[in-house]
Amino acid sequence: MSRVASIGQALAACLLTAACATTPPAEKIAPGQTPASNSLEAGLWMRVERSEQRLATSGRLVRDPALNEYVRGIVCRLAADYCADIRVYVVRAAGFNASMAPNGYMSVWTGLLLRAENEAQVAFVLGHELEHYLKRHSLNQWRDLRAKTDALVFFQIATAVAGVAPLGYVAQIAVLGSYFSFSREQERAADGGGLKRMVAAGYDPRAAPSIWNRLIEEKDASDDYERPLIFFSTHPASEEREKTLAARAAEIDSAGKTLGESEFQAVTASYRNDWLRDEIRQRDFGRLEVVLDHLAANGTDPALVFYYRGELYRLRGAEDDADKAIEAYTAAIDTGGAPPEAHRALGLVYWAEDRPAAARAALERYLASRPGAEDRTMIEYYLERIP
Amino acid sequence: MIRATQCPISAWRSVTPILVGVALLLAAGCAQTKSFLTSGAAPEHTGTARILLMAPDIEVAELTAAGLLEPKKDWTIVAASNVDLALDEVLAAYDTSIVKYKADDDGAAYDDPDIQLIKLHEAVGTTILLHKYIPALALPTKKDTFDWSLGEGASALGQKYQADYALFIYLRDSFSSGGRVALIFVGALFGVGVPGGSQVGFASLVDLRNGDIVWFNRLASGTGDLRDPKLAREATEALLSKIPL
Repeated sequence: MSRVASIGQALAACLLTAACATTPPAEKIAPGQTPASNSLEAGLWMRVERSEQRLATSGRLVRDPALNEYVRGIVCRLAADYCADIRVYVVRAAGFNASMAPNGYMSVWTGLLLRAENEAQVAFVLGHELEHYLKRHSLNQWRDLRAKTDALVFFQIATAVAGVAPLGYVAQIAVLGSYFSFSREQERAADGGGLKRMVAAGYDPRAAPSIWNRLIEEKDASDDYERPLIFFSTHPASEEREKTLAARAAEIDSAGKTLGESEFQAVTASYRNDWLRDEIRQRDFGRLEVVLDHLAANGTDPALVFYYRGELYRLRGAEDDADKAIEAYTAAIDTGGAPPEAHRALGLVYWAEDRPAAARAALERYLASRPGAEDRTMIEYYLERIP
Repeated sequence: MIRATQCPISAWRSVTPILVGVALLLAAGCAQTKSFLTSGAAPEHTGTARILLMAPDIEVAELTAAGLLEPKKDWTIVAASNVDLALDEVLAAYDTSIVKYKADDDGAAYDDPDIQLIKLHEAVGTTILLHKYIPALALPTKKDTFDWSLGEGASALGQKYQADYALFIYLRDSFSSGGRVALIFVGALFGVGVPGGSQVGFASLVDLRNGDIVWFNRLASGTGDLRDPKLAREATEALLSKIPL
């Protein structure tokens, strides 16, 4: 065996076992700790400070003091000694997400608040995010990535020189897989840490598997769900995480722990109309159906749920959807609490269904219930054209 | 390349930064600049031009063997202070009076028009880099003209600082790590050219009466070092070499 080949073999072994990263993982960050300016960590912070600045001045940021204070309160209970180190940004965005930057800024999407059923579920997700910060996952991940890709590039040269270039591609795949597996390990660790953290803050641990379960249901119902390759998935399959969490939660005594359901409902109820409007613009109707089913089951204002069901059917426009939309809008209006737009939407569906009298009546009701309607001229134009 | 945030559900992705990198690097090698003047007449002002110098956006990184850019804060601090000094010196050669932009101390508010203008400039500047410097991405309506503008809202900044123009500077510098140097060496042994660190950036001059970008210049270089005062001065001179003042 040539010398190059033997070096290649050693490197391959090193890559495949991911034993190249000689630096042990960084320790948990201390409260108030900031990195020395000549450290890698300071560089990573510097880079995310830019994105934090962008977010802090973004029009998508939710400015409402009550909601901000509420979310911040949850984060502080979870973060305990680290409360002062964490900056929370509530971002107006559809979809379930929250993220954590290495310098301590956390963004929480309103789509998460729309989907959560209680404070404890939110606490679990945010506790999970906090773990990424506390355990310096970004720093460790960067080191891991750098060490593995550095080794890979030399290995590829060695294989090319030795005339066995395909071995280099195999190594590339191995490195990618190893990188994502490192990332998955971090996600599992964050789940475990988040669970402990939420329990310490007084939340019922059973909320942890339930929010994951909720997510699996939505993922399966999604219109554009593509089964990700397990190998490249940056996150362990939610199913696996849900099972692990359920098993761990069952071992914890939940007596005296709170779900915080009524507080959560009271704080978020008034925002749901806006958040649902964001959600419907995604046009992922399968997903939205699951969201609406859960909102209905959790005591959300039926007028709102019916109205958005109507919107879903109207916009989806599949077979029988027109009838379903008419039924939903009518139900919304019957509650007495539907937004005036329900009349407009109902009128448009009737018109499309060639029911001019009903269309006219509904559109007129819209104009009557919303005297200052921005689209008054348009609606009046429609009314002229309806036979 | 850095993963800015850790998300339980979806990783944030965008191709824009990559394309901007491509635009900046296309001409990398020896120091090169390529500038555009606004279509039509050269900018006009009477007497000494009053320039509002915006805070330069600078980042220095280390290029790892595999080509990742690892951000370096200490290097960035040195580079920023060198460029600040160089800008003072280089601009002093022109008939200008310089006033420096100062961010409000009470943190950035989203409804602060200055901040939003800076963000708008970032978006427009990035767009220019993509669509004026990468021929394949040339926009049909912008191919033969240069008429980008931030809009008349920019005049508020001019009034606030009593300035005719705002000058924006963006610079990215990177240096090969030990591993990269070794890779370049090994590559050379086998006749493979491996690029080392590079210096890229742009300068943009905005007419604060109407928000028009009257001049735009891109710098791309395979040499240089913003951490060195003399070389930072050279880069700044190259960046501003054709500024129409």
